[in-house]
Amino acid sequence: MGSDNKEKKEERLNLLYGDLDTVAKMAKESLIKGKIAKMVDWATSFSLWPVHLMTSCCGCEIGAAWGPRFDNERFGSLPWVSPRQTNLIIVEGTITKKMACTLRIVWEQMPYPKFAIAMGSCALDGGIFYNSYNIVRPWQVIPIDIYIPGCPPRPEAVARSIIELQKMLKNKSLASKWILESKREDKKYIIPKEDLCGWRGEKVDLTTRYD
Amino acid sequence: MISLQDMIKEALGNNIIKIEDNKGYIDVVVPLEKLKESAIKVKQLGFDHVKSVTAVDYIQKKQFMVTYHISSYLNEELSRHVLGLSTFIDRDNPHIPSLATIWTSAEFQEREVYEFFGIIFDGHPDLRLLLLTPVVAALKPLRKDFVVKEDSINIEVDYAAYNATKWW
Repeated sequence: MGSDNKEKKEERLNLLYGDLDTVAKMAKESLIKGKIAKMVDWATSFSLWPVHLMTSCCGCEIGAAWGPRFDNERFGSLPWVSPRQTNLIIVEGTITKKMACTLRIVWEQMPYPKFAIAMGSCALDGGIFYNSYNIVRPWQVIPIDIYIPGCPPRPEAVARSIIELQKMLKNKSLASKWILESKREDKKYIIPKEDLCGWRGEKVDLTTRYD
Repeated sequence: MISLQDMIKEALGNNIIKIEDNKGYIDVVVPLEKLKESAIKVKQLGFDHVKSVTAVDYIQKKQFMVTYHISSYLNEELSRHVLGLSTFIDRDNPHIPSLATIWTSAEFQEREVYEFFGIIFDGHPDLRLLLLTPVVAALKPLRKDFVVKEDSINIEVDYAAYNATKWW
């Protein structure tokens, strides 16, 4: 008993003197055990902001989905212009090889926790361009969370995908774990096999980046 | 009143190999050496812009046919017509003088023909790739001898790469 009291005293002293490691540990524990983690997931699920990346004809449906009739803004999601302030990417239809480079750059610019939805049959497996020489599947470029089939999918399907993503976020507490561990455990880090941007010749440090 | 076909015949003279009027537009075929010369003459008639540049691959004749579709904005009479100015070039050594210096609107289209067919436009001010990545452009995908890989419903997908991405 006496030794335990001593340890507790030491911890308090450390707190007083400002030992950063101990304080960080305690803060992390309180995050894991406490209700803050749940709150982070809740808050993230109601602020899924997709970035504008209209690559193909499914972009029209996206416009309708956030328009007044189907109003996806009631789920707390708002299309935003800059990738730096967004945490969701909706891949709308075909991704050509040149656009895949752009997609990857946009994905890298977004702060984590970030999620991806692939929309339309072109984004699933090529769609009508399945044997084209100039397309890639989006899952070869970025990690996808949810796929929406359809050519093009209805705006209701887009709304459903956002609700499903919210459920997934809350059930698996993706956002809080991502913030705590600064990487995503359930998904591998994807590096495109093909040199899409033509930068493979130069040295790019990929070790410090996270999904 | 003089018809457009007669006007072009008068302007180009001996340069014309073939002239056709049954396609909905007038199609003129000129030899490769006199392409630039006849283009200048056509411009002097009042045709002020190029609508499209395209190429046809005649693989058995070992020839490309490069076609410029030319029309006019300023001349009201000519703006109703489209003039096709074509020439045949060698398939193994595809070089053609660029008309971008005569019509500026041809510059963009010639870049597209360059990357899809591998036809080199001599004297083009900025001959770079437009839509394709260097790897795809090296295949010259719109030539007839380009074979599309996945040509059946049974798509060859790299499932190992796909499985690495999934987590459910």
